[in-house]
Amino acid sequence: MKTSKAEFDATCSLFINSVNNYFRHLTEVDSELNVPYIKQSEGLVLKDYTGMIGISGNRKGFVYISADRDMYEDLIKIFIGIDDPSDEDILDMAGEISNVVAGNVRANLGANFMISVPVVFQGMPSQLKIPNDVSIYVIPIVWNNHEAYVVIGLQ
Amino acid sequence: MRLLIVDDSSIMRRIIEKNLKDYDIEIIGTAPDGQKALEIVKEKKPDVITLDITMPGMDGLACLDEIMVIHPQAKVMIITALSDKLTGLKALDKGARGFLYKPVNAGDLANAFDRLLKRNENE
Repeated sequence: MKTSKAEFDATCSLFINSVNNYFRHLTEVDSELNVPYIKQSEGLVLKDYTGMIGISGNRKGFVYISADRDMYEDLIKIFIGIDDPSDEDILDMAGEISNVVAGNVRANLGANFMISVPVVFQGMPSQLKIPNDVSIYVIPIVWNNHEAYVVIGLQ
Repeated sequence: MRLLIVDDSSIMRRIIEKNLKDYDIEIIGTAPDGQKALEIVKEKKPDVITLDITMPGMDGLACLDEIMVIHPQAKVMIITALSDKLTGLKALDKGARGFLYKPVNAGDLANAFDRLLKRNENE
């Protein structure tokens, strides 16, 4: 079932609230939202490290959060006090943020909004294929001077 | 009190570990999925288990079912991002003693463990 524009906008708002809550609750630094846009062209908007969650159940699609290494380093420093995290730590952090942001949306959408375990990657994997029938909404955010993208794709 | 931490995120496992260091708790193991968690539960019989739900392989709810069979005395605290009410109720119904929604900060963990340990003293 195709998601209507109103449903799509409402779902995006839930993700924006979820991202804001994540940063505020854990770091006491608010994230700032830049102007969201619908992605029309081919390809994905990606930074260095990405955590992606598949969505199934009532809605089908994906959400991912993508940011450069510096942002994840800052978060890891705040959370566990490590100055020089490994690549594995950075990818783990990318996956955990996307998991929490997507999971929290279920407070509003219920248990039929089903989410996968995170898929994490660095750069742009060649195997990554996004279905054609997905509308993609890009939400640029800035936290602690680091830019990141929250990208939501829903059928 | 002997604690097992189960979460597929190594960062999350370390966050829990770091924030519980002031408690009289011995961390007897950590596990990244339900299967590994069950091996540790069988072998070491932890008093308290923090358990994530969304994990690869055996998820936290399936793992909780098994824990309640092999070590029903364990006090399981679910720590998950799945913040819908149904998942919380399901976990409590299966035998979890506490439920905490991610994102969790130091204060959230402290409050949850204070409640869990206080209940433990009264039992």
